[in-house]
Amino acid sequence: MGFFRKGWRARLMLVLAVVGPGFITASVDNDAGGIFTYSLAGAQFGYTLLWTMIPITVALVVVQEMAARMGAVTGKGLSDLIREEFGFRVTFFLMLALVVLNLTNVVAEFAGVASSLELFGVSKYIVVPAAAALVWVLVVRGTYESIEKIFLLASAFYVCYILAGVLAHPDWKAAAFATVTRPEAEGIRNYGYLYMVIGLVGTTIAPWMQFYLQASVVEKGVTARQYRALRWDVILGCVFTDVIAWFIIVACAATLYANGHHDIGSSGADAALALRPLAGEYAYLLFAAGLFNASLFAASILPISTAYAVCEGLGFESGLDKKFHEAPVFYWLYTLLIVIGGGVLLVPRLPLVYVSVLSQVANGVVLPFVLIFMLLLTNDPELMGDHTNSRGFNIIAWVTVTVTIVMTIAMVLTQR
Amino acid sequence: MAIVALSELLGATVRDATGAVRGKVREVAVVPQDHPTRVAFLVVKTPGGERMLPGDALTACGATIRSAGDASAWERFAPSDRVLLLKRDLLDQQIIDVHGRKVVRVNDVELDAVPADRQMIVNVVAVDVGARGAIRRLAHGAVPSFTMRALLERIPPRVIPWQYVDLLETDPARRVKLKIAYGGLATLHPADIADIVEDLPPAERESVFETLDEEVAAEALEEIDPEIQVSIVESLDSNRAADIVEEMDPDAAADLLGDLTEDHSGQILREMKPDERREVTQLLEFGENTAAGRMTTEFIAVPETAVVDDAIDALKGFEGSREALATIYLTGVNQKLVGSVPLVSIAVSSPAAQLSQLSEPYIACAPDTPQDEVAALFDKYNLITLAVVDEHGRLAGIITADDVITMLRHAN
Repeated sequence: MGFFRKGWRARLMLVLAVVGPGFITASVDNDAGGIFTYSLAGAQFGYTLLWTMIPITVALVVVQEMAARMGAVTGKGLSDLIREEFGFRVTFFLMLALVVLNLTNVVAEFAGVASSLELFGVSKYIVVPAAAALVWVLVVRGTYESIEKIFLLASAFYVCYILAGVLAHPDWKAAAFATVTRPEAEGIRNYGYLYMVIGLVGTTIAPWMQFYLQASVVEKGVTARQYRALRWDVILGCVFTDVIAWFIIVACAATLYANGHHDIGSSGADAALALRPLAGEYAYLLFAAGLFNASLFAASILPISTAYAVCEGLGFESGLDKKFHEAPVFYWLYTLLIVIGGGVLLVPRLPLVYVSVLSQVANGVVLPFVLIFMLLLTNDPELMGDHTNSRGFNIIAWVTVTVTIVMTIAMVLTQR
Repeated sequence: MAIVALSELLGATVRDATGAVRGKVREVAVVPQDHPTRVAFLVVKTPGGERMLPGDALTACGATIRSAGDASAWERFAPSDRVLLLKRDLLDQQIIDVHGRKVVRVNDVELDAVPADRQMIVNVVAVDVGARGAIRRLAHGAVPSFTMRALLERIPPRVIPWQYVDLLETDPARRVKLKIAYGGLATLHPADIADIVEDLPPAERESVFETLDEEVAAEALEEIDPEIQVSIVESLDSNRAADIVEEMDPDAAADLLGDLTEDHSGQILREMKPDERREVTQLLEFGENTAAGRMTTEFIAVPETAVVDDAIDALKGFEGSREALATIYLTGVNQKLVGSVPLVSIAVSSPAAQLSQLSEPYIACAPDTPQDEVAALFDKYNLITLAVVDEHGRLAGIITADDVITMLRHAN
């Protein structure tokens, strides 16, 4: 009888163990940087940029699936594999770039925390230090499992963006039409347009998320055999992410853009405040609550995931089970990411949204280089065995690499 | 002697006896079957493909490499399972630092080139896992070599002598050919082995458990996190898994098998010896969080009429864990528990002393006692072991204090 019960429990554990990494990653995908970028895209361009959602979703599925598959097949993190296959020097410079890039993303997360609470009249000079301390303690003192449960529960909050979108009374027909319309060729010569598209790519397919997703697949101990369930977790997570993103763009397009509020750059609170008279009291509250939750959520994951990736790639001791003196680089890096990331925000009159969107554009610029490493690794039969990329995956991923690089070059050329 | 780093050799120019440049170093190879540390040959990239420059033809091994013979004698390089390629198999890879008891990543490899009668003998002496190797790799080629040497000398080295390095290899056939047996790892305390294994990727964990002696593997496995235990056992073939599970404490084995799928645990049980299988199957019947689920059936019980000498004989023949030795239990008619004698009393008494004279009142609980009550009993009576008796008062098993500590730590 004990036998039967344990068998049943083991099966349930298997399902729970596998469903998770993809969905959590998807949830942190719509972090503060994401919400600001989607909001600004809607406010500045209305429904015009909705066409990006379908290609970005396809690319996101392909890229995340690659990261998850690599984790399941090799049992190693992305930075470990880059180190083992491409050597110390390449890893060092990539990790350096990753630290700088992720630091800007940490700034964006704290900007999200600050601007969401500004709506309730709390000063950022109180909010940011408090949030930074909270995140530090939550991660270092709390056990991984209990944090993860909080995160998973918090994912449900994202539904509020769909509600905000609906309450904004958008023109559904125009929005749907814009989603499937071919983009206008003019865009490639417009700096502002390119900047925003690269930001959308960079925020949705953020480089740090690939490191995080692969690491959590390894952490969960998902093996190549259990990989089928994981694949669905990843795909559903990606689709969920982009449905939310679509609703945020639509909400801001229907209210801010339609009423001529194209500039929400100085504070994220502007986006929510501008929604208030246009979409009603609840849309504004939901937007603020969602932003707060998403920012704190991602702020808890991003610095620690960066510290892990860097230390594993460069061979420093890492892990929360180690004491401070046993893994000094790991803890210092983690702490400094939070302290500096939060500290930047204390600069008076910092344009929060512009800074956050800039970090997402930087994500988009760096993304192709991370993708190239991922592509080389996932096509290596010695590493992946029978699980190398299919031809279709390679095509989609290489197209993503090429298009992002071309757009970056075009953006630099069109800048005045 | 002159220490030269692998990263300095790689890419170095190779000249033959006439001084003509013949190519650049691609790889440094050791053939462990011939010599455990000696460099057997260098793989040199020449205009005519990759060639093997034999180690015993080296006359200089540093910034420039000179060969005594003619380059035309170098054979074409063909990859082989018997050959350890230092760049591919060691540089940037993880190894086990046996002395430091952890898994580390290799930044560089230190070789020692000793001149011996018109040739150089080159041996692998250590792996560099510190900042010195890292900076050398980073700056190599970008900073003039004399500046670099001056710079590197200021950095304290962090190297692991080669004898304390255990390489990791997941391919079993290659493991044999490269003579990788995790010999250093096996000398560590099982709890340290467990910590190291937990830090390894799954394939490497499997390779460790395929290779280690069953007894060592079993003790280490007991100390490993339950989830990782399951994934390790699932990756082993059921025959090997059964060999290891047989050596485990029955209570630990039962906990482990209970976490596996029915199919898999059934397979392993079928491969086990009948005695061990019976013990483990009995334990499997109980809930994991009760006294019976935590107890071991390997304990020492002697008849109440026995003397100290009999108890010592029983101790000598005992194959269970050392923790279970702390108390000798006395049984009466029908195996009923009647008393307990601490090991200390036996040590200080004469061989002919009656055990019943030394006996103390025993503390026991029923098989279905919840684990928190078990812990409370240990606390209240300051126990080292606790007897578990069935409904007829027969001794079914014992719980040891180390199990309770594990249990409490997991409960938190």
